[in-house]
This record gives sequence, structure tokens and C-alpha cells, in this order.
Amino acid sequence: MTVKLSKKVCLLGDFAVGKTSLVRRFVYNRFDDKYISTIGVKVSRKTVAVPRDDEIVELTMMLWDLAGSEEFNRVRASYLRGLSGAILVCDLTRSKTLENLTAYTHDLRDIDPAAKIIIAANKGDLLKQHQITRTQVEETANKLDAVFYVTSAQTGGEVENLFRHLGRLLV
Amino acid sequence: MTVPSDNSLPDKGQQRAGMADKGDDAASLLIEDPSLEALREILFSHYRQQIADLEAELAEIERRISDKDALIAMLSPVLGDAIRQKIRDARAEMVEALYPVIGQTIVRAVNEAVRNLARSIDAQMRTSFDLGRIIRRLKARVSGVSNAEMALREALPFDVEEVFLIHRETGLLLRHISCELEALPDTDLISGMLTAIRDFAQEAFGRGEEGQLDEIQYGNRRIVIEAARYTYLAVVVDGIEPPDFRSEIRQLAIEINLTHEEALRNYEGDSTSFVAVDESLKSLFTTTTPPQQLSAGQKRALAGILGVTTLCLAAACLGSGWVWQAIHSTPTPIIIMPPTATFTSTPTTTPEPTFTATSTAAPTSTATPTFTPTPTHTASPSPTLSATSTPTSTPTPAPVFGQMIGSVWLRQAPSAASPRLGVVLKEGQSVEILAAFEEWYQVRWKPQAQAEVIGWVPARWVGVSAPERIVTPAP
Repeated sequence: MTVKLSKKVCLLGDFAVGKTSLVRRFVYNRFDDKYISTIGVKVSRKTVAVPRDDEIVELTMMLWDLAGSEEFNRVRASYLRGLSGAILVCDLTRSKTLENLTAYTHDLRDIDPAAKIIIAANKGDLLKQHQITRTQVEETANKLDAVFYVTSAQTGGEVENLFRHLGRLLV
Repeated sequence: MTVPSDNSLPDKGQQRAGMADKGDDAASLLIEDPSLEALREILFSHYRQQIADLEAELAEIERRISDKDALIAMLSPVLGDAIRQKIRDARAEMVEALYPVIGQTIVRAVNEAVRNLARSIDAQMRTSFDLGRIIRRLKARVSGVSNAEMALREALPFDVEEVFLIHRETGLLLRHISCELEALPDTDLISGMLTAIRDFAQEAFGRGEEGQLDEIQYGNRRIVIEAARYTYLAVVVDGIEPPDFRSEIRQLAIEINLTHEEALRNYEGDSTSFVAVDESLKSLFTTTTPPQQLSAGQKRALAGILGVTTLCLAAACLGSGWVWQAIHSTPTPIIIMPPTATFTSTPTTTPEPTFTATSTAAPTSTATPTFTPTPTHTASPSPTLSATSTPTSTPTPAPVFGQMIGSVWLRQAPSAASPRLGVVLKEGQSVEILAAFEEWYQVRWKPQAQAEVIGWVPARWVGVSAPERIVTPAP
């Protein structure tokens, strides 16, 4: 038996950490990226099949890719309303992006304390430029009570697993 | 060591009884002791007074609560402030609560204003005369709307194309209905983006107010948005919507929220629980062509129109029957009575002054000289038609007869545009040629002894050439 569910999921992270790249390559994407720079958000869709008890849930995640730039800080709170989960994205080549995940998590928790969170430590393929170690990511994840994946939008590494894991958390 | 005998030791029951006796004695001492009473008075008098005061206040409050007027008098001074504070703290909730009352009042007021506008347009239209307007008037009467509304409706076409029911907070699509067989793709993405745009507009332009985006326009199409507490309806329309359309959407949105409040409040992403809403959403598509029951007035108008139509048909049947009879029976449409003196203005020797009489009776004939005989014609040497009706010394020539070589209408004047006299001269009939003008002969036909018909026929259908003497000169 298959059940169909839809959930709102937000992608959060600093400017240029690779949120849109994750969406562009691995998610059904209809609208132009320009919406992110104009109204601060673009909605895409990712469907995953997730087992739940003795049934399969066809979960459609409506991904709200939120602009990372500060100019949209005010409107971002509006976009977070009604979310069920979030993917917090940091850039392994910029340590500041990991630090800022705590602030994003606080924003999320203000809206919905029960929202499921998963961390994508992106640009995993740029090993030589990494400023953040896996341990540091793990510490932050533990602190935020979240799981994490080291992903690469460039190679696709762990991206599908990331979405699948979040799907399991949501159902 | 001495041991007391068993009799000298009190048993436990006796001991307890003895203690009780002692206690009672002590208690009685406490009650009766005036010093203790004084002490009690000192210690508790304050509290006793407070209790008495509170009891009095409680009684007063109970009296006020049970007395309606007293209760109103008590609440009135603070009610205004309480409402103001509630509106300030929870404006959305207050709006939601008051909408059914205030919303309806506002809608009614606006409807009244629009109706006044329609009345004024209607009055303007009634004063003008136009076939199209007459048809529109009939159509409006049958449809049960005013002329102005019908005119506006014709001028403003309107179609509902898509209806989206969207969860307000998450932007998730709950239901979607389309007028097209092929549904729009990615409706869930559209609903998400639409919600994002609404949020953005609210954040960017709301300036802390409770306003919201209620319409998006692109070309002729518009997205009409009406929100309720948990959902909003986005309706894609083409053209200008009817006056009540927006309130209908709003009402529907509220109804859906009330009916599915529990499921909407705890929405977990399963939209199948809202399948039943589809029928309600489909009702918006029928708004453009509302089924209407005929009112008594409409029925009367319809009956009137049917009656008039029946009368017209009956009249047409009778008329055509008369024409048929006129064509196929002996024609006697023009009966020329025996001449009287009043018909001729001048003395005449012609025994039959009929020509003069018919000529003067036909106003169109004055265009030709033959129809305006004057006494001067008698002096004229030219062979005019009037010569036959005026005194002359010339002997009356013999009449010229011809035979019809085809069936043709007899006309009032020498022109194909001239009115028919209702008589067809059939092939083979004999006619007397009275005058000739260009390609036309004026002929006299006597089907019966007492009646004759005079009129014009094309010369080519009369099988004889008119002699020069009866040719009428050109006007």
C-alpha cells in the first residue's frame, strides 16, 4: 500500500554554500533561479519513497530554497512558517558557514520546535580547500541534535542519501 | 521492689477514659475562661471583620450578576477598553470572529452601491431606442436581470479556468480543479510559489498591517485570492468577474475551513482527506452560467411574448390567405364608381372621366404630366392624356386595345419601384391602352361589367404598339 504525503522543507545556509546547486541537479526544478534573488525564495520538488511500518510512503518534499543573503533576513521568517523539516547547508571550505548554522537553527526552532533538521556539509569534493574537519561538523550536528552528510553537489555524493534520510525523519 | 497488685493498676481502657475526661475538662475550661475569650477577640477580630466585609461584597457581586441592568452598568465602562486591547493583541482572531457580521454588512453596503450604479445605467438605457437594445431588454427580462446588468454582462465576458485550494501556512496544495481536461502541470509548485509571493508581498508592503495580496493580474487573466484561517483559494479567471463572485469565493473558503477545521489545523500533508471539497470548488465554475428559476414576473413576460408571437403568426396566416385569394380569384381591389361631377374640375364631354379621378387620387402620379390635368391642356395641340378628359374639338379617337403576352403585376405608376395594385394581368387577357410613357403603358382592364382596373404595365408585355397619339410626352 502506498500513501502520498507532502511536506514543506526549507533549505537554509549562507550565501553560496551550494543550496541552489543541490536543488538544480537533484530536484525537479521548474522555476528560474532568478526568483531567489528577487523575492528570496524558489520552490522545487523532490519525491522520495520512504518505508513506514508495513507501507511505502511516497513523500513529496516541497523544497523552499531560501536566499542566504542578509537582505532577505526579514522575509525569511515568513518563508519558514509551516515547515516540517529543514536542510541546513554549510560550505566545508568556509568555516563561518558552519558557525552560522546555529543561528539558522534558532530561527527554525522559533517557528517550529519540532521541525526535523539535517545538515549538509557541502563541497565535500574540494578536499584541499577544506577549512572544516569532519569532527567539527559532527560536533555542531550533535549540538543541534541533527544528523549530517558530507555532500557534493558537483559529484552528487551523498545527496540522494541526504534527501532519503530527511524523508525518513519526516514520515 | 514492690509490685502493685493487679487491682491497683488501671487497665488501658480506663487510662484512655481518664485522659478523655481530663481533655473535656480542659476544653470546657478554655471555653469558659473569659481571659481566653478576650485573647481570641484580640487575635481574630480583624479577620472576623474582613470575613464579614468579604461576605457583604460577595453578596453585592451576586446581586449585580443576577441583575442584568446592574451587570451592564458594571461592564460598560471597561468593555470598550477590553475590546480595544483584544484587537491590539490578537487582531487576526478578532477579524476572523467579527467577519461573519461585519463582512456581510460591508458586502451588503457595497452591493447596494453597485445596484444603484446599475439602476442609473438602466435608466439611461431605457431612454434610448435601438433594436439591439430591445432584444437585450427581452433577454434580460427572460433571464431575470436588469437591462444594465445584461449590458454589462455582455460587455464583460468571464470564465473560471483554475481553482487552487492551498494550505495557508505551508503553501501545500490541497486540491486543484481545472476547466481544461488536461490539468495544468506542477500545480503543487505553483501553489508553493504563489504562497511565497503572498508572503513576500505581505512582508514587503504590509508594513505591519493585516492586509494581504488578494489579486494578481497578467493580461486578461487574474488570480483572485481569498483567504480564510487555514487555507486560501486562488481562482484563475479570464475577464471581469460578476459582482458576487469574490464574496462567493470568500464564503466557500470560510465554509471549507469550518468544515475541515480539525484536519486543517493539524495538517500532515495527506491531501486525500479533502477530496470531498472538489464538488464545492466545482460550483465556482458554474457561477458564470447560473441556473435561474423563473420568477412570477418573468413567467408573465414570457407568457406575454408567447401571446404576441401567436397573434403575429395568426395575423400572418390571415394576411397570406387574403393575398392568395387576391391573386387567384377575380381581382376587384379597385372598384371605380360611376363618375360624379365632383371628380372633374372642368366640364368634359368625355363620358368616362375615370382617368382624372384615379389620377388625382394617386399622389405619386403627380410626377408625371398625365396625372395633373389642367384646363390649359385643352389649348395644347400636343396629344396628352388629359386631352381625353378635357373638352376638345377633335373627335374622340377609337380606343386602342392590346393583348397581354405574359402575366405581369399592374402598378400604380410607370415604374418597377411603384406599388403594385394587387392585380396580375395574365397572358392572353385583353386590355385597353390609355397612355404610354417611356417603356410603360397605362392600361384599363375590365374583368366585370361594373368594375375596372387601371394601372401601368411594362409595354413589352402588351402585344401591340401604342399609336403616336397616346404617347405621353416626357415630363
